Amino acid sequence: MALININDLIKDYDGNSQVVRALRGVNLTIERGEFAAIAGPSGSGKTTLLNIIGGLDNPTAGSVRVGEHDLAAMNPRQLSDMRLREIGFVFQAYNLIPVLSAMENVEYILLLQGIEETERRERCARILKEVGLEKEMNRKPKELSGGQQQRVAVARAIVSEPHIVLADEPTANLDQKTGAGLLELMHELNEKKNITFIFSTHDTMVMDRAERLIQLIDGAVVSDAAKHGGFHGAVPGKKKPAKKTARSKK
Amino acid sequence: MKALLTTTRIFMKLGWRNLWRHKRRSWVVISSIALGLIMIMFSIGFINSMLRQMLDNNISTKLGHVAIYQKGFFTNMKLETNFLPDERIMPVLSKDRDIVAFSPRVKAMGMLRTSESSRGVLVFGVYPDREIKISKINEYTTKSGGSAYLDSISSNDILVSQSLASKLEVQVGDKIVLMLQDRHNDIVGVGLTAKGFFQTPVEMFDKSVVFMGIERLQQITGLGKNVSEIMIITKDKKLAGSVKKRILAASANPELDILSWEDMAPELVSLIKMIDKQMIIFYAIVFITIIFSIANTLIMSIMERFHEIGVMKSVGTRPLQIFFMVMFEALNLGVVGLAVGLTVAVAIIQIMGHTGVDLSSFMSLLRSWGTGSIIYPFVTLKDILVAVVVVEATTIIAAIYPAVKAARIKPLEALHFI
Repeated sequence: MALININDLIKDYDGNSQVVRALRGVNLTIERGEFAAIAGPSGSGKTTLLNIIGGLDNPTAGSVRVGEHDLAAMNPRQLSDMRLREIGFVFQAYNLIPVLSAMENVEYILLLQGIEETERRERCARILKEVGLEKEMNRKPKELSGGQQQRVAVARAIVSEPHIVLADEPTANLDQKTGAGLLELMHELNEKKNITFIFSTHDTMVMDRAERLIQLIDGAVVSDAAKHGGFHGAVPGKKKPAKKTARSKK
Repeated sequence: MKALLTTTRIFMKLGWRNLWRHKRRSWVVISSIALGLIMIMFSIGFINSMLRQMLDNNISTKLGHVAIYQKGFFTNMKLETNFLPDERIMPVLSKDRDIVAFSPRVKAMGMLRTSESSRGVLVFGVYPDREIKISKINEYTTKSGGSAYLDSISSNDILVSQSLASKLEVQVGDKIVLMLQDRHNDIVGVGLTAKGFFQTPVEMFDKSVVFMGIERLQQITGLGKNVSEIMIITKDKKLAGSVKKRILAASANPELDILSWEDMAPELVSLIKMIDKQMIIFYAIVFITIIFSIANTLIMSIMERFHEIGVMKSVGTRPLQIFFMVMFEALNLGVVGLAVGLTVAVAIIQIMGHTGVDLSSFMSLLRSWGTGSIIYPFVTLKDILVAVVVVEATTIIAAIYPAVKAARIKPLEALHFI
């Protein structure tokens, strides 16, 4: 069974005088363990799609299933719980809690989940070590570089071992080298922990590194290609040997 | 439960740290809370002291903690309403463990005349040695320039207040004529010698009361061994009620009125209650202004963190948890404000309570209220507890709207808000 199943997804926004259609009948299936990028120009609907998958926004029509959950049937509390336990978020602007240290920012998710202290500390320390921040764990976000803050955000997203990490333009505020390092880190985590990563991006580096590239234009999927080792020109739909790879239905 | 405590702890921690993100702004609010509290504590301290002095001065001059009268005397003060302090009463008073001292008195209405002037007075016939234990009249008597306290129960000596002496133009050793009605309603007059002058903090008392030996007054009025009252001092004025009940039960004399100071000074009791209620209004006025200051600060703080709160909600923080985070922020403001305000207020009140605040320039006004010219402000544990409850309740009320606003932030809207 697919991890994410999207059928005929439509999303309309009320503009000043007219309805703006952000997503036009999107159909998509994403399997567990994919490392996928949703690419497209500004206003193509990629962030909207990510928000709907994350339960932050409601579809106007169509259905979205994430794991066992039919998002349309869930109330705000259930959606909040799903986001807490099954989805990790990485935002463009890092969005760490400024009054908490790196360690506490990562720990925050586990606290909300009610994980007991010893396990919490042990998991946070391990994750921060994995993202290369074991020496910075007691620093506040303002004492960290942009790349380090985004690594903390990644650590926060994966510390509870969610099924999915939704990353909205994660490299947009980083320089080329730091962005590449971050992508490498997320790819390693994807391979090691089998966490599904879905990016929204218009950064070519992210598109190159992704193993599946879903192109959105004007709210519709125009191409959906799975690749070996990343980079353009990969054959759409070709599977990576160790993982399942899904295709768009249309 | 443990998980709930753990999550509560993180929101308390967040509430505390968020408070110090804008130190200057937080300190402005904390200062307003502290200042309001200091103002209120000072007012309470001064009012407490004035009320206590008013009460103590009345108790230590004319009321006592408990007094025994023949039925009807307290309301119309007629000389013929008297009683014999016999063995049914006196042993009861001597044995009661809570009674420190007691002394019979005769009270008679009369007129003091000199060649210059005359004044209507209430004459207290007292046992000078016993009176020292039940009232402060000895302390209030001037011990210089020939003025001295009474030393005999049977002499023609009389103590008058300085203000009365000045109105009657009397010096120490001068003769004064006292005219009064005896128990047979005959007018009698007797020449007395001004033995000394006193000044109590109660202006009304000084204007109308004079003291002389009890035996001499009993002779003049023809009361024999009878008295008008027995004034009783207990270990503490709070014990007056229980002592009264015990005397009432032991004396078993329906002809006697046994009254506590609360019975004898209902106007003072009402005044204390009224001032207590006025303090609530005072509290309300001060803290309503503080409510707006706290609410405004919290709303500003939340609007600045709109995006951050959206992110917190995106990653699974529940609205109730956001609500509590803001409430903890407000509670912390209140706690710091309380700590600063109470520390400053209590420290200064403690110092003033020892040194006293000299308000001699308002002496005539204070004397008309029955308080001394030096005020020793003090606050009780109850006052402090009330302040704690009022301040924390104020901050909680002030935080409700901002906290609800924060809890209702929609994560998606907030994520788009930079």
